[in-house]
Amino acid sequence: MEADLHPKLWVICAAYNEATTIGGVAAELRRAGHQVVVVDDGSLDHTRDIAAAAGAHVVAHPINLGQGAALQTGIDYALGRGADVLVTFDADGQHRVSDIPRLLEALRRERADFALGSRFLGQTTNLPTLRRWLLQAATIFTRLTTGLRLTDSHNGLRAFTRKGAAAIRLRQNRMAHASEILVEIAQSGLRYVEVPVTIDYTVYSLAKGQRIGDSVTILLDLFAQELYR
Amino acid sequence: MIAQILLSLLLCAVLLYAWIEYRRSPVVALLSSVASLAGLYFVWEPSDSTRLAEFVGIGRGVDLILYTWVGISLIIILNLHLKLRTHLELITVLARTIALANPAAVPAEMAGNSAAAPASMPLDVRARRPAAGRRSRRRGDQNA
Repeated sequence: MEADLHPKLWVICAAYNEATTIGGVAAELRRAGHQVVVVDDGSLDHTRDIAAAAGAHVVAHPINLGQGAALQTGIDYALGRGADVLVTFDADGQHRVSDIPRLLEALRRERADFALGSRFLGQTTNLPTLRRWLLQAATIFTRLTTGLRLTDSHNGLRAFTRKGAAAIRLRQNRMAHASEILVEIAQSGLRYVEVPVTIDYTVYSLAKGQRIGDSVTILLDLFAQELYR
Repeated sequence: MIAQILLSLLLCAVLLYAWIEYRRSPVVALLSSVASLAGLYFVWEPSDSTRLAEFVGIGRGVDLILYTWVGISLIIILNLHLKLRTHLELITVLARTIALANPAAVPAEMAGNSAAAPASMPLDVRARRPAAGRRSRRRGDQNA
């Protein structure tokens, strides 16, 4: 079991009103032997109770702040618990637990500090064409702005070493955090590697996911951050 | 002359505002300074403003001053937006500190592991961050 190879592996799930899926996701991660921290981002439903019942650590924001803020809280929590390797994992069930060992193997093999999942190196099911184009445009934008040669810039399945996670400090609370992570990786100068993963889109995850208009918000957020300290 | 003095005082106030804001937002401070200095010049050299206004197709010099003032107002609105974002970051730090200090649930096998309590984690993490090549953070970050 991977957990034996990485006794201090922590999986971080940011969750907002994910009562439908968080129980299954957390339970599957626990069955695989991973420590799980679910960051309940001010949910109005029973997300935190369901996650706790599934055996996850639960840290709850008193108010809804956004996925980026929740991930940073999860990173801080896991580092505080002595995590050696941290994995970010979507709470809506679109990631596969079986991909985590691939990320860990890539970290070890490439001696990297960041392993970034790529659905375009791996597989996707039910990915809408418009979203595919949008993701590819985001990838080009990322290449131009960070210099990172990636095939998938907005994949929530990632693994960090402790050193890598400590080099990340997210200030973008909402959707722009995915781009901000890549900027931070580029600025850290640490080694990164892309890993093929599978994303299973469902009606539920598509409804919870980003919309076309969100890309404009992301660009504005990234631009605004450059204007102040 | 009275109008010129009043406008000059207002534009000097904008310059002072730009100087105060420089540490937090150099871009906004620079834009405000350029706009207010241009405004000051045109207030005291209206003939030049008329000439420039004709050159860029605005018409009258006084319109150019008005447009400059509108530009300054927009920059200040942008700065207010950035201040709101700064406050949101502080709220985030506060909410995170509360959340980390009081985990909502810890599995039984990990409960009582006080050596790994995460309450002081944010400061710990920042202390270990690589310094080289990192951009500076906003003021107040060290108080998180």
